[in-house]
Amino acid sequence: MFEPLLYLKAMVAAAMVSTTFVLAMAALRRPASTTWLNLASVLGVCFGLAIGYYMLSWRLVWPPINGLDRFLTIVVPATLGIELIAGFVSVPRWVAWFLRLSFAVTIPRILLHGSVYLSGNYETLWHATAAMAVCAVLLAVVWGLLSWLSQRSPGVSIPVALYLATQCAGLTVMMAGYIKGGAAVFPLAATLVAAPLWIRLVTKRCIAPTYSGSPAVLGIGVVGLFSLLFIGMFFGRISTVCGLAILLAPLLCWATETPLLRHRQPWVVDSIRLVLVAIPLLLVLTAAKRDFDRDMAPLLRQVKASILGR
Amino acid sequence: MGRLISVWVQTLVIGVVVCVGGKFVLAADEYAYDLVHSSVSFKARHLDISWIHGRFNEVAGKFSLDREQPSKSTFELTINADSVDTANKARDEHLRQPDYFDTKQFPTIEFKSTSTKAIEGGYEVTGDFTMHGTTKKITIVLKGGKEHDFKKAKRVAFSTELTLKRSDFGFDKNAIGPIGDEALIMIDCEGVRK
Repeated sequence: MFEPLLYLKAMVAAAMVSTTFVLAMAALRRPASTTWLNLASVLGVCFGLAIGYYMLSWRLVWPPINGLDRFLTIVVPATLGIELIAGFVSVPRWVAWFLRLSFAVTIPRILLHGSVYLSGNYETLWHATAAMAVCAVLLAVVWGLLSWLSQRSPGVSIPVALYLATQCAGLTVMMAGYIKGGAAVFPLAATLVAAPLWIRLVTKRCIAPTYSGSPAVLGIGVVGLFSLLFIGMFFGRISTVCGLAILLAPLLCWATETPLLRHRQPWVVDSIRLVLVAIPLLLVLTAAKRDFDRDMAPLLRQVKASILGR
Repeated sequence: MGRLISVWVQTLVIGVVVCVGGKFVLAADEYAYDLVHSSVSFKARHLDISWIHGRFNEVAGKFSLDREQPSKSTFELTINADSVDTANKARDEHLRQPDYFDTKQFPTIEFKSTSTKAIEGGYEVTGDFTMHGTTKKITIVLKGGKEHDFKKAKRVAFSTELTLKRSDFGFDKNAIGPIGDEALIMIDCEGVRK
């Protein structure tokens, strides 16, 4: 059942907890080091997600039995763990990226574990292996390019673009008929936007003036977006074109790196990025709504008519 | 002479053992599920005022029936969850999604007997019922068991009904909605001797 009020409560709770952690940790150490702010981000996202999913009455299931369970019990904690390690200044960048890319390669396999895609005949297995390889490469490319952009030209527009893409992914998955899969994005989206905004605010107050963004939030955002789209495509009914459009949309932030736009005011750059990202997302949502009206709405109308008739 | 008697006795003993053993082997007849003359259907409450009916169109299975020693009888049934059919295409597509049967993750619903007991008019069969990745031990009463020879093929049929709670099998409680938690499953199974 679609429960917008419950999703709103989960988002508000996740955002509040995430914000509280970030602010509390930033207040504990002044000036806050980059490592300290990364730690604050990871813990903020971690506790924000925990409270958000608790509000949705979701409990962790071990061993995980489906794709969404594996996302919550394996993929999210592992990503947070990797970003926690990568956040230490003493850890070389190549080690951090080695960990990230190694994990990116395994995510599709983890999400498809035990499904018909991996237990079928040789041909099915071959197709599944090829699909997993392509998806892993896509994840690595999106993760790498967004991280590079956030180092090169940091701004709040990157996490906000991820937030928009994540919300769009959730609504698309829901309109394709997988309500729980779509609902999974709401706490994630709330923490994605809450933690970086507060860190941005904190760093602007000169607590850590050299801080150039939150790679932890970026990591969990990209992995979360990819995983939910992957689950929606392989277990739900969202199309490959929709999935690809949503996953690749945040990369349009790179458009502001053209010589014409690069040296504009930061707020102009941020606005252009968000408008560019929002255009394909709106097109995807329009297509998803059209498919929903065609396939699912007649069924819901019947249910609604039955309830009213009662 | 003594050696000849010994060989004769040995032959007799082996013959008796083979015959008795053979009788045991023959006593358990193997039957294959006849999809054409069988059905697995279900119904669930809608808004607590009416029933929605559906069926699974792809079912396979087998059973072995030992009339002499019923406890040695076994029953197996495998339902293709993707074949759910409620006479509404949109609803069937929705039922295949992860909010309900999650057929890409759990393609089959299975029953495998672990013990069988003869009762009046049929058998009481206990076994493992696996649905949506959760296995629970259930006991069903199979009514029937009459044999019929049709075109030189021996046929036996059973019927049973069982009530299951979807929430017991890991279905999302929030997805249950206007459809009741309990589902009544009706199995009418005709087997053809292999």
